[in-house]
Amino acid sequence: MELTKLKYYWWNKWIGLALLVVLVITIPILTLFFNIFDPPGESWSHLKENLLYDYFINTLLLLIGVALCTFFLGVSSAWIVSSYNFPGRRYFEWLLILPLGFPGYIMAYTYTGLLDYAGPIQSFMRNSLDIQVNGGIIDIMNLPGAIFILSITLYPYIYLLSRASFSQQSKTLQEAASLLKSSRSRTFFKVALPMARPAIVGGIALASMEVLNDYGVVKYFGVNTFTTGIFRSWFSMGDISTAIHLAVALMCFVFALLFLENLHRGNSRYVSSNPTNKPAEKSNLSKPLRYLMSGICTFIFLVSFFIPFMQVLNWVFLTYQKVIDREFFLLIYRSFALAISSGIVIVLLSVILLYALRLNPIKWVKNATKVAILGYAVPGAVIAIGIMVPVLELDKYLASHFSSDGRGLWITGSLFLVVFAYVVRFMAVGFHPIESGFQKVGIHVNEASRLLGAGTNKTLFKIDLPLIKPSLFAGILLVFVDVLKELPLTLILRPFNYHTLATKAFDMATNEMIAESANAALVIILTGIIPIIFLNRLIRVRNI
Amino acid sequence: MTILELQKLSKKYHQAENFAVQEVSFKVSEGEILALVGESGSGKTTLLRLIAGLEHPESGCIFLSGEKIVDGRLSVPAHKRKVGMVFQDYALFPHLTILENVCFGLHDVDGDPEKIAKETLKMVDLKENYNNYPHQLSGGQQQRVALARAMAPNPKILLLDEPFSNLDALLKDQVREDIRQIIKHTGITAIFVTHDTRDALSTADRIAILHKGYLQQIDSPENLYENPANPYVANFFGKRNEIIATPTLEGFYTPFGFIKDARSAEYNNKVRLYFRPQHAKILRSDVQHLSGKLFSVAYLGDHQMIQLADDEGRRVSIRANPRKKFNEKDRVFFTIDKFGVEEVY
Repeated sequence: MELTKLKYYWWNKWIGLALLVVLVITIPILTLFFNIFDPPGESWSHLKENLLYDYFINTLLLLIGVALCTFFLGVSSAWIVSSYNFPGRRYFEWLLILPLGFPGYIMAYTYTGLLDYAGPIQSFMRNSLDIQVNGGIIDIMNLPGAIFILSITLYPYIYLLSRASFSQQSKTLQEAASLLKSSRSRTFFKVALPMARPAIVGGIALASMEVLNDYGVVKYFGVNTFTTGIFRSWFSMGDISTAIHLAVALMCFVFALLFLENLHRGNSRYVSSNPTNKPAEKSNLSKPLRYLMSGICTFIFLVSFFIPFMQVLNWVFLTYQKVIDREFFLLIYRSFALAISSGIVIVLLSVILLYALRLNPIKWVKNATKVAILGYAVPGAVIAIGIMVPVLELDKYLASHFSSDGRGLWITGSLFLVVFAYVVRFMAVGFHPIESGFQKVGIHVNEASRLLGAGTNKTLFKIDLPLIKPSLFAGILLVFVDVLKELPLTLILRPFNYHTLATKAFDMATNEMIAESANAALVIILTGIIPIIFLNRLIRVRNI
Repeated sequence: MTILELQKLSKKYHQAENFAVQEVSFKVSEGEILALVGESGSGKTTLLRLIAGLEHPESGCIFLSGEKIVDGRLSVPAHKRKVGMVFQDYALFPHLTILENVCFGLHDVDGDPEKIAKETLKMVDLKENYNNYPHQLSGGQQQRVALARAMAPNPKILLLDEPFSNLDALLKDQVREDIRQIIKHTGITAIFVTHDTRDALSTADRIAILHKGYLQQIDSPENLYENPANPYVANFFGKRNEIIATPTLEGFYTPFGFIKDARSAEYNNKVRLYFRPQHAKILRSDVQHLSGKLFSVAYLGDHQMIQLADDEGRRVSIRANPRKKFNEKDRVFFTIDKFGVEEVY
């Protein structure tokens, strides 16, 4: 008789590979925590006396301000779109998501340009209305300005999630409320809003993480936050350990945020997942009210996307002859190549993690993979510091052992490092579509394949991967867009004088070439819009 | 010859409080069809998945054709067990044609995979459309493909998870018979899971009944029905009446009257008598028989189910001729042909 070896069921090469992936991805964060007890650098005491309080207050105000503004913008527009009939409603459904494709820093330059002395608004007031405006009145390069810019670019997170929640609330529920003689507005406050709470909290948490991650807007507007502090200690002072301390402080914000979100959401799953529920019906309004709704949506869309987008187009029109040359196409090529390769690496690693779990849904492996995708919550600057610290050490070691003159940076400033950083930060972006892809396919085909004698490799390549092909592409696409927009990580880790579209736009804008920066910005915005439309269709299909 | 043996198999899911399968042991002979029956959550599907190698037990052993394939935390991976399985949702590979689906398990067999696949498909009565994709077939056809796919590699044992649950009532009887014929024709050993006792009684050679992870009884359909090992098993196969009675030397005193029975001499304390509705017979005369007041009548086509009540409102169900007329509050006389006795503690 053929002898087959008995093996421990919980161990196979996929589990091993997955644990290795988790370990590598968590290195940056682990580094920070191992270094937190190092004495802070020389600039720490100066920073503690003069700047730390500013960093703290500004970061906090920014968080609160953006949370409030995005809440009002997102929830009100989601409620209008999902519960009333008015002219243009079907268009606003997706038009209101477009600002998500507008990176905050580009929005910041654009609005600065718009409200400039030489910009279209002041020129118009001066020339046509004969009003001279004192610069101070519409100066947005300050904290409230930063809140405004971040809010109009981030509200779509809350809009999307609460819209999905509102439209999943079933028709029966709505009818039950109206049979109880509850008016539409009362239904909103007493039924719809509380039921959408988990979605709204989730949206605000996402927006807040983006706020903590932001460097472009606060730097441009001169608002001192933890992120700008990290850059200052790193670049201007070269004080690594101070940067680490600031990074850890920033992480405390992140943990507080995650904790608050968890606390608020708990295990509540308010939205009933019964697929037979009919979506709530949209109510008809009187004519003036209908136009009011259209007006509100138009206004939000104009301010958050259309006007700045037109300004960008205008600048491109004025400067493209000067900017678009061979160099510019090379820039596009490089950025795209970098973004696509990051997407492929992330999708590859996600498949490894998820396939190990698919074969063996062991609790501790599941928790380990959750840690691996936490990077989306960690600000880019923090990840960058967490990567630079061990890599500099490694380089020192390599140089002293292998370099003839004992100097040289082998890994620091290599593109490999940039891709690694993107992987750490954007793992979740590629992970989720693949996870839901596997879920949709179901575990039975995998099991059937294995019972037919196919090993784990054959099952993966012949059955599972072909079946989740669309999810693989979705994962690459979503990572692609996020990487293309990414700024703080790239600024810290990129090779010397190496530019992506994002860093080029940032560079030009900070060097008083806002109009020229619009060319790179336009490419980022346009590529960012593609998956948004794709994403919206996904949500809509699920609702119907 | 024994082909499969389970020894004290126990499985506990991570979050669950109780064991899903507790110390289950039994043997299956070659060529036998065994049904695993139980309510949802009884552990029947878990047991099937343990045999397949899709779940892993906390403790216990499994032997498949003499070879140890599970020993506590150690196990032979699913793809090396040579076990065939038909899933409840069929789990056909949607991106492969019918023929490719059946060929999938034939990568290391002797002979031409395509030829074997076609023969197997013919055996399950699918004669054309081999190049169609699963979604182009009806549910019944998909099930036949799944069966062919599982049987083509000639597995040591065939497992079927709820094979009849997705079929509508009209089709079900036919499919049940067809599948039994196919399995018996090839002589393969098969284990199937079902929650429907009728499926089990009509299809299986033996039935294993599970409750809360414990194996209650494993026996032939007749024996299970006629001689249930415990009240749970008895109740599982249809309605069962229970009446409390006091034993005397000659028989039992029940709320419905006196019943003569030699077994009464063995008991001193109160006993419970149990019997199925069809084991009671309605009589015309009242001589030495039981009686109760008519409580309700349900017409069920081929028979009527009547309920009789004693003076305190306790009720028994009895099967009656479908054409017999009953009047409200009639006193109905009956006798019990066959009943079981157990002591009440």
